[in-house]
Amino acid sequence: MAIKKTALAGTLESSDIQITLAPAASGGIQIDLDSAVASQYGDQIKKVITAALQGLGITDALVKAVDKGALDCVIKARTIAAGQRALEQTEPAWEVL
Amino acid sequence: MADIRDLHLRVPSIQKDWRAFLASHGLSGFPDNEVAAVDSVIGLYDGGRLVGTGATAGNILKFIAVDEGDTPGAYFNQVVSELQNRLMAAGHTHMMVFTKPQYEASFHYVGFTTLAKTAVGVLLEAGMPTITQYLRGLPDAAAAAGQHLAAIVMNANPFTRGHRYLVEKAAAENDAVDVFVVSTDRSLFTSAERLQLVQTGLADLQNVRVFPGGDYMVSYATFPAYFLHAGDDVIRYQTTIDARLFRDWVAPTLHITKRYVGEEPRSHTTAIYNTVLAAELPPAVQLVVVPRLTAAGTVVTATQVRQAIADQDLASVRAFLPPTTWSFIQSHEAALLQRIEKGQTIRGN
Repeated sequence: MAIKKTALAGTLESSDIQITLAPAASGGIQIDLDSAVASQYGDQIKKVITAALQGLGITDALVKAVDKGALDCVIKARTIAAGQRALEQTEPAWEVL
Repeated sequence: MADIRDLHLRVPSIQKDWRAFLASHGLSGFPDNEVAAVDSVIGLYDGGRLVGTGATAGNILKFIAVDEGDTPGAYFNQVVSELQNRLMAAGHTHMMVFTKPQYEASFHYVGFTTLAKTAVGVLLEAGMPTITQYLRGLPDAAAAAGQHLAAIVMNANPFTRGHRYLVEKAAAENDAVDVFVVSTDRSLFTSAERLQLVQTGLADLQNVRVFPGGDYMVSYATFPAYFLHAGDDVIRYQTTIDARLFRDWVAPTLHITKRYVGEEPRSHTTAIYNTVLAAELPPAVQLVVVPRLTAAGTVVTATQVRQAIADQDLASVRAFLPPTTWSFIQSHEAALLQRIEKGQTIRGN
């Protein structure tokens, strides 16, 4: 599934992550990550984002992630919030949580 | 934990405190019309004390100032992310900020990308589409291998035979031409009207492609003085940003090697712009200055066309206009006149 519109979730405060999603016709999930800990945890952060988007059925998207030291659970929650906004879903996706 | 509140600047005491806070951070002397143009202003309060502020105007972040606080950057990040959330909620998925060079690193730290900078200021963007996504998304805009591609940026308010002459010359001297029509909607003719008149007026030229200029080419973000009166220093600084953005992003992404501009005998602002382009673009991009087309013994300018609309004297500029623009103006004369009567300026651009 491709997303319909550009959406954002999260903040730039410490221990949070700001996720922006934009539509992409193809090319899979392409993540541009800004993080002070990218060299240690970059792969793990991208893995969590990709898994959360796939859980929503999103296969193609441009992702910008600005990480301020978020834990995996926060990354997952912010990604799901951005994903549901991008899909214009208002009901919580319980089965994904 | 600091909390965000809306600042209602219409309340004189709130505006006074806000201005004092900005002044204490070295931001002062901005005109009232710049303050009046903001859409939303926030204050960050810690223990009841104002410790940070920021505002939005269109898709632009403005008037950002924060105290140091105990944790470096915490106030700044909180203000910027609140502004970004508000812009996104209002449908502005792409955002820009103009700031002093010393704050460039702070914006990089929260995910902004530098588009252009000078000794006195930096233009950055965040959100999507990014400039690269915007440029790559223009269908067939990039030159094919071995092609010579030229570009022209025009406001075309409205499209005249002078614009057409400039495009024809570029089209004859190059393999293809990309024409970018200014997207900012602050002119007598709306951006949709201007784009449509350029498209129809050039439809017969096979190697010419017409695109909206977006936020990047002579937009209200990169070059506000094109639309609002400003001093020469401000114009020079803003045109430098605009020229560097074109040179460093637009030209390399689309493989543009030449930029064509009309010689500027009348508009002071545009004359400065041409001088700055000549200083900034080469050697990466060659600037070609084309003398203005003359008709009926005078140079063709859109300014005179707008004046003729205001004077209800269309016949005097008929020779300036291609048939497509002529018939549009004839069928929309009343609406255009009404815009002028409602205060739309016909001077400037």
